[in-house]
Amino acid sequence: MKKLIALVLSSAMVLTGALSVSAAEVTELPREETLYFGGQQWGTVNSYNPIGTNQNNAMATTAQLLGSRTLMFETLYMYNFLDGSLTPLLADGDYSWNDDLTELTIKLKDAAKWSDGTDVTSQDVIRTFDIGVEIGNNTGTGYGAYIDSIEAVDDKTFVIKAAVTEDGNPVNPLKVNDFLGGVFIAQAAWIDAVVERNGGDATAILNDAAEDVVWSGPYTKYFDDDQKVVLVRDDNYWGQDASMWGKLPVPKYIAHAIYADNAATEVAFKAGEIDVDQQFLPNIQNTWLEEGLPISTYMEEAPYGVCLTMPTAWYNMNNPILAENTALRKAIAIAVDYDTIIANAMTNQSPSFADVPRSLMNPTEGEQALYDHDAVADLQFAGNDIDGANALLDEAGILDSDGDGWREIDGNKISLNAVCPNGWTDWMAAMEVVAAAGKNIGVEITTLFPEWDTVQTVFTNPNQTEYDIFMWSPDGAGPSMPWGRIRQFLDGDLVGIENNWTGNWGQYSNERATEIVQQIPLTSDPEELKALYTEAIQIYLTEVPSFSLMYRPAVFHAVNESVWTNFPEDGDGRNIPPADCTDGYGIAALYDLELVG
Amino acid sequence: MKNTLRQIFHSSKFVVGFLIFVGLLAVIFIYPVFHPGNPLDMIGVGTFAKPGTYVSLYDSVTTQTQVLKLPEAADKRLAKVLSDEDRVKIVNYLTAIEVDVEGLDYSDTDALLEAWRANYDESLKPKGMTKAERNYYKRLNNSLNSMGSQGEMIVTEKDPSGEEKQMAVIGTEDYVNVKDVANTKNLVFGTDNFGRDVLKELVSAAKTSIQIGLIAGTVATFIGLLLGLLSGYVGGLLDDIIMFITNIFTVIPSFVLLILISYSIGQDKRGAPVVALVIGLTSWTWTARSVRSQVISLRNRDHVNLSRLSGHSLGRILLTDILPYIASYVVMAFILQVSSGILAEAQLSLLGLGPKTTEVPTLGLMMNWAMLYSAHLNGSWWAYFPVIFTITLISFSLNLMNTGLDQVFNPTLRD
Amino acid sequence: MKGYRKYFGKKIIWFLITLVVAVLLNFILPRLMPNDPVAAITGKMAQGLTDASAAQRIYEKYQEEFGTNKPIIQQFFIFVKNLFHGDLGTSFSQYPRKVSDIISSSILWTIALQFPAIIVGWLLGNLLGALAAYIRKGFDKVLLPVSLFLSNIPAFGMAVMLLVLFAVKLKIAPTSGGYNFDMIPNFSWRFVKSVISHYQLPFWSIVLVSIGGQAVGMRSMSIYELNADYVKYARFLGIKDRKIVGYVFRNAMLPQITGLAMSIGTMVGGALVAEIIFSYPGLGSTMFSAISGGDYPLISATTLIITLMVLVISFLLDIIYGFIDPRVKAAQFD
Repeated sequence: MKKLIALVLSSAMVLTGALSVSAAEVTELPREETLYFGGQQWGTVNSYNPIGTNQNNAMATTAQLLGSRTLMFETLYMYNFLDGSLTPLLADGDYSWNDDLTELTIKLKDAAKWSDGTDVTSQDVIRTFDIGVEIGNNTGTGYGAYIDSIEAVDDKTFVIKAAVTEDGNPVNPLKVNDFLGGVFIAQAAWIDAVVERNGGDATAILNDAAEDVVWSGPYTKYFDDDQKVVLVRDDNYWGQDASMWGKLPVPKYIAHAIYADNAATEVAFKAGEIDVDQQFLPNIQNTWLEEGLPISTYMEEAPYGVCLTMPTAWYNMNNPILAENTALRKAIAIAVDYDTIIANAMTNQSPSFADVPRSLMNPTEGEQALYDHDAVADLQFAGNDIDGANALLDEAGILDSDGDGWREIDGNKISLNAVCPNGWTDWMAAMEVVAAAGKNIGVEITTLFPEWDTVQTVFTNPNQTEYDIFMWSPDGAGPSMPWGRIRQFLDGDLVGIENNWTGNWGQYSNERATEIVQQIPLTSDPEELKALYTEAIQIYLTEVPSFSLMYRPAVFHAVNESVWTNFPEDGDGRNIPPADCTDGYGIAALYDLELVG
Repeated sequence: MKNTLRQIFHSSKFVVGFLIFVGLLAVIFIYPVFHPGNPLDMIGVGTFAKPGTYVSLYDSVTTQTQVLKLPEAADKRLAKVLSDEDRVKIVNYLTAIEVDVEGLDYSDTDALLEAWRANYDESLKPKGMTKAERNYYKRLNNSLNSMGSQGEMIVTEKDPSGEEKQMAVIGTEDYVNVKDVANTKNLVFGTDNFGRDVLKELVSAAKTSIQIGLIAGTVATFIGLLLGLLSGYVGGLLDDIIMFITNIFTVIPSFVLLILISYSIGQDKRGAPVVALVIGLTSWTWTARSVRSQVISLRNRDHVNLSRLSGHSLGRILLTDILPYIASYVVMAFILQVSSGILAEAQLSLLGLGPKTTEVPTLGLMMNWAMLYSAHLNGSWWAYFPVIFTITLISFSLNLMNTGLDQVFNPTLRD
Repeated sequence: MKGYRKYFGKKIIWFLITLVVAVLLNFILPRLMPNDPVAAITGKMAQGLTDASAAQRIYEKYQEEFGTNKPIIQQFFIFVKNLFHGDLGTSFSQYPRKVSDIISSSILWTIALQFPAIIVGWLLGNLLGALAAYIRKGFDKVLLPVSLFLSNIPAFGMAVMLLVLFAVKLKIAPTSGGYNFDMIPNFSWRFVKSVISHYQLPFWSIVLVSIGGQAVGMRSMSIYELNADYVKYARFLGIKDRKIVGYVFRNAMLPQITGLAMSIGTMVGGALVAEIIFSYPGLGSTMFSAISGGDYPLISATTLIITLMVLVISFLLDIIYGFIDPRVKAAQFD
């Protein structure tokens, strides 16, 4: 036994010796000063580049519509998906549009400073946008078509000039609003240094590891390896100025261990090794009902979170069988048992389609009020209608003529695959339910769960014929919603775009629908808008180019209150969204945290 | 032959293993006769229903009742909503909101409830109390309120016109006999994450897995036997070549090969038979090696030489002069191959590389889904433990038979 | 001595041929998988790009960098050439990390986990097997079925049950990872302690499964030897029981040593499941994520490591056997 212990010890010693020992002065993060996250970072961090595209760095560089993660880099405004508001961060006070909606004037906070002590100026905003267009990062490709230029008025004031069409109207003012809450502002001087050291090569700039980056946010890099990433608070953060937060965020360290998979993350979360978990936890209510753990969610009853999006099964119109047979598309959609998906795949963390009938809107009250419910009530199917689906197929002449139990089109057995990325548990289960529906109506549907790397290259390719039915989620929240989502469902102009991350992944084309998508951003009259929204929904539910399977939070947000408490909760009057204490206005939660006991 | 069989059935190990295996087979074939239906049917809405008997609440309301005066009934009812732990927590709460709890007795239910009802306020946020705790008190309060005053309950039915009609009056001492209720369902192992009946699925999965094991075992044994016979008997260059191929398959471990091949085939083409075939094609090497060494020890025996001198063909020599002598060995190798085939399927499926999912359940797929829905973390033991146990039992019974055979065929090993 | 030379000469030639073919297979097999990992990286890089030609440029740049635009034969020679320089290429899925960097950060974890686990499982298993063979009757009646049952629990089943029992229910062992979640690697006693405690569950899940198999094998071999003629003869000569038993077990160990060597050879792939279930940062989980990410260079490198280990070990075994076991020696020069 002694030998055994010696053996174990010596191998452990060898092990530690071989590990790269960091220069970090603290070797153990004090539990009461560290906020642990889960479900955000997968794999080793490879860069801290706010203008790059190849960063696998969830905590530092996640830029997204529903509120970018402003721990290390900051946006002009912080989006709040609870009420759709934009709270100034680097910006000072509200933004103002001119009457034509072509110019947007914004002032920066006097106190806003970079980590090197210099002021955040208009030049930084301008350089951030220009470099984006130049090297084609997400800022450039996402906003280049909607923003013509940004011009400085003075050091702290600038004007965003919207791109205009030939007739002088702005292309899309809604997308300009997205810029305010979505784009990280980087320092002009640092950008210049990066451009110079990479000789101006766009790809090299996008891939730059940015070891020397200058940041403006409250945290900065501290340690990372293949098992964890740690950010440390910057105690010189400008935001402690009274014009912003008036104090520093409470946790000194932000840490995220890198877990192998969801199960490992869940184990750690339940053990209290993770405070804030962005992860789908099946049957989360059991953690407090059965196990009595100090775990809570934003809402204490189902669906436990704020559902903002609806993961959807898209039909691939490159498959002629699907493109030419609306009856087949509709039959599959109405045969699927959505209640089972919601109860079993989502373990009730979604309202049902009886509670919130399907449309193009997310389940928030604001969006639900935007369309005429009565006008589309007949089209809103609730699912599990096997008889209806069979009748539809029979009527369309899609029959099982050889008696093998499967229907044929032109003498060929219909055989479709249903695809979603491997390991995306609730989606995989949902696809199984879709496949089961196919079996019930004589249409063979086989599930296929390739790895995410494969799935993304296939479904963003406009000519793909590999996947027949595939699952992907439209955007949930953001300043340009619901227009942005309707566009993702119905915009015929997106057909044929290479490397399509924008929308309409099923390559569906309908002239009227495309027109509506173009009209909405330029329409301001509420009644007119309502008519447009309603018509779009009618087309969508009649043509069924895709069908939503469930509602889902854009981010999951569950907290374990073993160490920290006073997280945002429904109805606490603070209006902080359950965005994992990091995204958009959700970061306000970091300033209110308290230790338990 | 008869003698050998008798010997085999005298080996207690073989008999125990055989009985377990036959028992499993019997369940696999008999259970579906009494419980027909598709094992993949998602009968439960909601995940991981606990094992037990489910009684239709709807039907039991209209079932003939029997009055039973059971002395502890009221206490049990109370204990269900107010455990000892809850009592302590109530006092903790009262202390936290600075109510004087001096003289309050934990066991005095009435006094405790009175103090609770008088002081509990949902909107209060006592300092240092987490949201999780506040949620707990809210739930406790709700269940205390729903317990009611133990009066009679009236059940009404809404008819299509929307009018309400009284259906039943339920007293605290009314009981129904489970046998009288029209609809009850006994779920021995509860349901899984899809709401499927785990027992029914398990029985069907065990069948598929055994089939996979048999196919894989047959393929592997056949290839291994053929190559081993040729290599061992013919020798020379052929032997070198065959051993070379075998070595290649050994140095690239079969499990790695298996993963690579399964991944390449793609899920839509991976039916259970294909997976079985792939397993068989990657696991024959050790059979080939052992058969070869057995054949080498046989090939210079007199009866083989005699046969060769008589000009018998290669096939005939192998079949009549060599095979019978290693038959027992081959049978044992086959049994081991079957058992490792079942295990290989389970491991593959666990990594998400198993057979496609819509047709038949397999033990590996059940395990895979249970793990994906973290059954092992949320205490739903019934969704994964019976699966592990079944795999273990199948492979245990096969190996036990094997050990028994070993002792029969190698007399020195006998007890 | 001439026999030896001829024998080893032949062995070495076969060893080299096998090595070449194995390297070739290691190179080709992963590249037969259906997806295009370069497209996957491009997809990640070009996320949000609407300009098709820009995406195409990125794709070509990476093709150039990874050399995937060249004919496969040429790729193979480049692969081999780099191999001699110890350069295993760049990982696709963890771009821009070097494969050698990924492997060196995970291989020590695997060796530190597996090597002791295999040795301990082997020692305990053989000890039990030998005892069962020697004592027989009561002990054996219980031990054999129990060992058999244990060895038939699938590795993942054992890992899951240990995880549930000790980490989730009893909470006496950490749940995942290689060291404590609140630590940063450093040379301190606390860190080493944390590594050791994280080590327990994966370690025992491997040991428990292997004990059974080893015990069953050792028991059979020992009984076989105990009943061999030389034992009877020795007994007849009146040699002390202790001494006979010593000989018997030494002989019975021989095949067991082969088994030990082979499991050391295959250890990288051997504990794939245990590593995955306990999120242990070893080579097994690296290999699995490489396979699922279609990361050729990483797959080739991991399988190459396994191949080399198995090859070298089986070669060494052949040679050692030639020296120590007269029976094998005789057969080799036959």
